[in-house]
Formats: sequence, C-alpha cells, structure tokens
Amino acid sequence: MKFAKLFSWLPGLLAVIAVLATALPPGPTRGFDLQAFGRTPVLEGGRIKPLDSVARNALLMIRGKQSVRDQGRTVGPDEWIADVLFRPAVADAQDIFVINDPDVLGLMGLRQTSNRYFSFAAIEPFIPEIEKQARAAQALEAVQRSRFQNAVVNLFDRLLLFNQLENTVQLADSPGLFMELQSLRDPQSAVRRKNLAEAAKFRILPPLAGQPGDAWQNTGEALDAAAAGLVHPGLATLAALGGSYATGNADLFNRSAVQFHGLTATIQPAALRHADNEILFNRVQPFYAGMVIYVLALLVLFTSWLWRRELLQPAAFSLLAGGALVHTVGLASRIILQGRPPVTNLYSSAIFVGWAAVVLGVLLERMYRKGFGTAVAAAAGFASLIVAHHLSMEGDTMEMMRAVLDSNFWLATHVVSITIGYSGTFLAGIIAIAYTLRKHIAPDPDPATTRVLVDMTYGIVCFALLFSFVGTVLGGIWADQSWGRFWGWDPKENGALLIVLWNAIILHCRWGDYVREKGLMAMAIFGNIITSLSWFGVNMLGVGLHSYGFMDQAFWALAIFDASQLVLIGICLMPRRFHLAGTT
Amino acid sequence: MIKRLAVRTWTILASLQVTIVSLALLMALVVLCTLAQTELGTLGAVNTYMRSMVVWRQVQGIPFRLPLFPGGALVGLVLVVNLTAALIKRFEFSARRLGLWVVHAGLILLVAGEFCTGAFQVDTRMTIEQGQTVDFVESYHQMELAVTDVTDPSHDVAYGIPDTLLKDGAAIALPGTPLTFKVQRYYVNATLARRGENDPPSPATMGVGANVTVTPQPPATADNDVNAASVFVEPVAGGRSYGTWLVSAALGAPQTFIHEGRSYALAVRPRRYYLPYAVTLKKFSHDVYAGTNIPKNFSSLVHLSNAATGEERDVLIYMNQPLRYQGRTFYQASYGKGDTLSVLQVVSNPGWLIPYLSCALITLGLLVHFGITLFNALKRRQVLREAV
Repeated sequence: MKFAKLFSWLPGLLAVIAVLATALPPGPTRGFDLQAFGRTPVLEGGRIKPLDSVARNALLMIRGKQSVRDQGRTVGPDEWIADVLFRPAVADAQDIFVINDPDVLGLMGLRQTSNRYFSFAAIEPFIPEIEKQARAAQALEAVQRSRFQNAVVNLFDRLLLFNQLENTVQLADSPGLFMELQSLRDPQSAVRRKNLAEAAKFRILPPLAGQPGDAWQNTGEALDAAAAGLVHPGLATLAALGGSYATGNADLFNRSAVQFHGLTATIQPAALRHADNEILFNRVQPFYAGMVIYVLALLVLFTSWLWRRELLQPAAFSLLAGGALVHTVGLASRIILQGRPPVTNLYSSAIFVGWAAVVLGVLLERMYRKGFGTAVAAAAGFASLIVAHHLSMEGDTMEMMRAVLDSNFWLATHVVSITIGYSGTFLAGIIAIAYTLRKHIAPDPDPATTRVLVDMTYGIVCFALLFSFVGTVLGGIWADQSWGRFWGWDPKENGALLIVLWNAIILHCRWGDYVREKGLMAMAIFGNIITSLSWFGVNMLGVGLHSYGFMDQAFWALAIFDASQLVLIGICLMPRRFHLAGTT
Repeated sequence: MIKRLAVRTWTILASLQVTIVSLALLMALVVLCTLAQTELGTLGAVNTYMRSMVVWRQVQGIPFRLPLFPGGALVGLVLVVNLTAALIKRFEFSARRLGLWVVHAGLILLVAGEFCTGAFQVDTRMTIEQGQTVDFVESYHQMELAVTDVTDPSHDVAYGIPDTLLKDGAAIALPGTPLTFKVQRYYVNATLARRGENDPPSPATMGVGANVTVTPQPPATADNDVNAASVFVEPVAGGRSYGTWLVSAALGAPQTFIHEGRSYALAVRPRRYYLPYAVTLKKFSHDVYAGTNIPKNFSSLVHLSNAATGEERDVLIYMNQPLRYQGRTFYQASYGKGDTLSVLQVVSNPGWLIPYLSCALITLGLLVHFGITLFNALKRRQVLREAV
C-alpha cells in the first residue's frame, strides 16, 4: 500500500526533474560558447533583456518556432542571432521565413508545397514587389484588409525585422566593426554610422558610470560618440566578438564574450543579473513543459478508466500536480522578471486563465476524488497553454505597459479578477463537456458521480459570477479614475458584462428550477462561447479602448471553437435514446 | 375580480421568469450595441440600443419606423421594478437570505446610479497650453454662439447663447447688452465652401459669409467627429440692423461689428462654462520608454488659483490620478502641439460615489451568500462521508 502510494507520486516527480534538467546550459557549438554570448544584456522595446530573448522572440515572429532546422541540424536561438549579427551571408541562406498564404507564394511565382520555409536569399529578389503590395495594404485599417493583404503585410514586417537585426551591431555589408572603428575619419563613415544607428533593433552598449540608467547605445550611436572622441570601452570587445565569430576563431570569441560581460558586470551589474534570470526562464520554457506534462496527465487518466484505475488515477493526479508546479513557477518567474502582476497582455491572460483553472481543478479533485478534477484541470491547462503558445508569436510577451495601463494596483485587482472569472466560466464549461461525453460513452454512469459533476458545475458558476462581477466593477472604478466615467459601453467592458449576465441567468434558472441537470450543463457549455467571445472576439472588432491586441488569424480558430461548443450543447441536450452507450 | 387581477399582476411583476427574460434581453442588447459600434461609433450605438426605450429600425418600403426590440432603458426599468417587487414579495429576513438581499439591494442602487449619471453627468474638457491660464471648461458636443465685447484691450467680456436656443426664426435678447440676435437659419452640422458662380446667393450680407455656400449635414456620429454648427444671424440694436452674418464653427477668426463705439466679436464654438477659479499649465510631460515610442506617462503640472478661497497651489494630474476639486474632476485626457498643450477631461457627476457604494454592497453580499452555500456543501459532504 505504502509502495503504491509512493509509486503514484513518481511520474509527477520525474516530470519535474526532467524540466529541471533543461535548465542546464548547453555545451559549446563548434567550439563557440554561444550561450555566454546569448546572456549579453541589451535594451530593446524599452526594457533590458538578454540577447537570447531577442533571438527567441524574433524567431517566433519570423519562423513560428524558437529554433531553426538547417541542413539536417537544429540551430539554437543564440547561434542563429550570432549568424544574423556577424555572418549575415549564412543567416540569409537559412530557411526561416514561414509563408503559408498561397497568394503570397504566388506573388513570388511559387506553388504551395509541403515546404513552407524560405530563406531571405530566396525572397530577396521579390522584396520590391512585396514592399509595394504591403505599403498599399498598410494604408487600409487592419479590419478592412483581405487575407492576402494581411499576409503580405505580415511578411514585409518580418523581412523588416530580419533586416533590422542584420544591421544592428554592424551593417550587413560591412567587413566588421574593426573596419568601422579604424575608418572613423573616412568621409563615408558618417553616413554608414547614421544608417547603422537608424536600423538598429536593440542597444547593446551599457551606459557608462555617470550616465542615466536608460542611456544604452547602439553601435551606430557609440561609433558617432567615438568619432567625437568618446570611445565606449565595449566597442573594441564587440568588434573582437564579431570578427572572431566570422573568421571562426572560437578561442578569441569566448575570451571576448567573458571580457564583454566583465565590462557589463562592472558598470551595469543589475542588467546582467536580470539577463541571467531571464535566460534561465527562456531555456526551461516552463509553459511549453507544462503543456507536455498536462497532456501526459490526460493520457494516463484516460488509460486509468480502462485499466488499473487504482494505480493510474493517482499517477495522473501526480502528473497534474507536477504540471501545476512547473506552471506556477513559470508564472511566478514572469511576475518577478517583469515586476508586474500576472496579467499584462493577452498572452499572459491565457497563461493565467489556465493556471487558475488548474488550481481550481486540483482543489476539486482533492474534494471529490473522482478523477474528473484531474481531467478538466489538465484539459484546461493544456488548452490555455496552447492558446498562449500561439499568442507568443506576436513578439516580446513581456512588453512594456502603455501609460494608461501602467498601474500595478489595478492590473493586480481588476485584471486578475476578470481573468479568474474567465477561468471559472471555462472550467464550468469543461466540466459540463466531461459530463456530456461521459453520459454518452459510459455504459451505466453511476448517479453519485453525476451528482458530484452537477454540484461542481454549480459551485464553479457561483465562483465565476463572483469574480467576473467584482472584476467588472473594479474595471469600472479604474475607468472612473482614469477617464471620468464608470461605464462607457466599451466592447471589452460589454464582454465582461455578458459573462456576468450569463452566469447570473444560469443561477437564476437553477434557483427557479427552470433547468435541471442537463439544462444546467448545456448552459455551462454556452458559457465557453460567451467567454471566448469576450476574451478574444471583442478584440477583433477593432474599436474601443481595449483594442490593443487585434488579431486576424485567430478569427477562424475562434469560429471553430464556438461551433464545436454549439455541437457539444446539441449532444448534451440529446434525449437518452440517442446516447452511444445508453440504449437501455 | 379587480383584486384577482392585481394579485396576478403583482405575481408576474415579482416573478423570476421576468428576471430571466430581462437578463437575456439585456445580453442581446449588449451584443447588438457592441457590434453596432463599428458602424455608429460608441455614442451612437449606446444612444440607439442602451439609452432608448425602444430600438427603432427604418425598413425600406415602409414609411414609418418599426419598433425592433425593447431598448436598454426599458429593460433596465423592468429589471428594477421586477427586482424591487421580488425583494418585497419573496425575500424574508433570515441569515440564510441576508447575502442575496444585500446583493439585490446593491443592484438596484447600481442601476439607479447609472440613471443618475445619464441625467446629471456633464462631460467637458479644458484645453490649455503651457504658460496659459484658463478659467473655463468646454462642452464636447454642445455649441454656443459666442458674443465677445472686445472694446477694452485689457479684458474681454464674453456672452454665450447656447445652441439649444438657436432655432430658426428665434429672436434672442442678450442680457447685459443692448443687442438682440435674430436667428435666420441654424444648422446643427454643415460644410462650408467658397461660393461658386452658379450657386444661389448667400443669405449673409455682411462678413465672409457672403462668399460662402453652406451645405447642411447630418449630425456627426463617430466618436471623434465634431459638428460644425453654423448659423445665419442678424444682430439688432437700438432699432438698427447690423446685417446678416454667417457664423460657424468651421470659420476660423471671429467677425466683428461695432455698435455705439463698442466692438462685438461673433463666433460659434464649443459651449463654455466659466469656473470661479483659474488653472495655469506650468508643464506638460510625455515620457516614453527608452528607445521606443511606447508612452510611459503623461502628466500635467498645473497651478490652481482660487481668489474666493485664497487657494494657491500646484497640482500634478496624471494617468489614474485625477484632480477632484469643487464637484469637478480633472483627468489627463490628451495632448498636442508638440507636447506643449494638454487636454484635461473635466467631469461633474453628483452621483459618482453611487457605483462605488453599490459595488461594495454587491461584492459583500455575494461573498456572504456563496460563503454560506460553500459552508453548507462542505458540511453535507462531511455528513455523507461519516455516514459511509
């Protein structure tokens, strides 16, 4: 018995250990210590981050993944950014631009095949045409653009990003920073420095002692200062880094990286510490790992319903707990790294919705021990992390907050409550889906378990109503503080109101006995539709104060999700004689 | 018979069915209002769906408008009546029901607060340049015909005729002056153009209006559009007419006429409300995150000076930190002119505290009620477990 109990905790423990193992730094590539290069702190998008984050975010935007497959080998983000910065010819030949739109491919005279990745070199001849089409499309509002126009604007933006990166530390066609440093008096040099300063995507040279904390410089600006007689001590090291990487001198490269960090550690120690913490977070990818563990938990749980239930159900729960632990640590790391409450944008709301749903599910499982808590929690965690994964392609997920949103108090109260309200409504919906499927598949569902599922749903709807109401009201108070009106019928406000109203309707129908078990469950599933529209749908209208996250590609995903929920409502409401396993 | 009818009405009024149907209607209205915003703008959609008793729709081929749907105001009213009736009829004062009672009382207060806001809230703005001192606020939507006595170069005396009085054929005597204004034509919104050779003659006989053609336009609906109110007006004083003038918000400089040695400037502008104190903008700041265009903060450092109370102090108004002063609240709203001009939104709403109060009540009520429910559920489970 004791052994069985211990054994049941083993899978979760192993999962956590496996995640911890990914935190170990990878070894050198071709002798180059690229992970040391990736730790270099830079200023980009208004915040300090390691070069590794810049590389990962850029790769996610350009390629949709955090690494590159090139000639049968995986190129990591740190190696990729080193190639982009110092060996542009190599980076140009790697297939990194993912293009799915057939019309955009057609623009380049290509057929749609299974190969969706193209190199900059392959696209380069078509850039003038792409630019022409993109400029024409950019004149339109995002909502008015056609699918092709969106795709071409998107490709152009990615080409621009790639081009900016290639021209950040040194111009892509330059023999290197050494040459620039030696030819500062050259008449052409001023133009080149200006181009470099304008194209730069990030600032890599830390402010020197006595300069303000945000006075980071890009190399163009630093070369300008050098021409005026003020040579940044990091410039020469940076030149050595680039030169040694391009010529394959791994020894000099590694020494230069150490030297550059030594400089940063003396003048900006906090920046280096922050970069080190963030790089750890990047390497572990806790949300990706969590997603995998949740899937495992689901699979084990499904198996448990067919085989060795007494052993596998606790094992599934231990996996869920392990996933929840990884998820929690990831969430906490983001809070610490960003110095912000958990929800600051659409991406982080997905992470948080999943987290809250998982925590609720774990509590439900501890209360009822039927395996359903595990099932819905793992499903909710997995689904929300998938959504988050897709949202992460929009760029840096720890972007800076715009002025009006810059209030930790309201982010911590209003946004968190609203998001917990989303979690609750989704969780109720997922329990209702589990109820529906179980009734159809299980040959003879036992009434006590059914009762438990109904109780859980009812309780969670109450919980969701409380949080979405409180969140909505806090939003009103925030709006009153910052815009002078409590309620402005803004689309996002309306979305929140819809969730409150729907949960209130469910509860009143229940209290008035207008719906019983099946009706309650069908209504809870409809709550999924309301919440998905309120969460993502209103952002697609492109109006109102909350339209900060317009998404075109998500439209179809949302439509399919909502349609699937309608089908599930239909299945839920089917009379008993249509049940797959309920012919008695 | 009558008694039975009354009892039935009362039962229906207090019934849960009415609550549920009303809530469902409200949901539908919220969805329609949200979708309509892409077309009508926020204000237009809210006026059509939420602040109306009935949502009307013009259908082609039918000469009159059709009532399409009950409006938000009607549904809100029904909900309040239903709720009040239910509170009286069904709710008993017991510890078990206490939470629900508080929640629903809070809800009534919330809706009442919204009606109060709709009725009494006045939205205005103060546009102020660095170094400038301003002692008035302007309306966003209402306009006025401003008549300014500019005779004395050291200070102006301003008179305003609100747009609600500007009706075709009206004659408005301006108190404190010998002037009377005869309104010939008033347009809520219009576009002005240089008069072409084939255009009919302009009604204006004086000022720039003689060379301008006025084309009436429907009132602006989009959130950022402003009506270019225009009026043909004839100032009369001491039995003498000073000709017909075109005065419009679309015209730049004011136009001046002289009566008995006093110069009067005419202009149409957003309606002004004068304050018993003055605000000076000392500095407007607009910070961005390093190396980006992402705004980090907007703030206005102003000096408040009130001769009546002797108050002289500096105030920093920034995001999420408005200035509340003498029943008005000043918010940082916008900026312009290369960051030297600040626009403050100025709101007076006597009922601003009601939502705070009602929300506290509802939250408290929900916590109590669901707390009791959870407690009971846990107790039941405990009993069940012990029974097994």
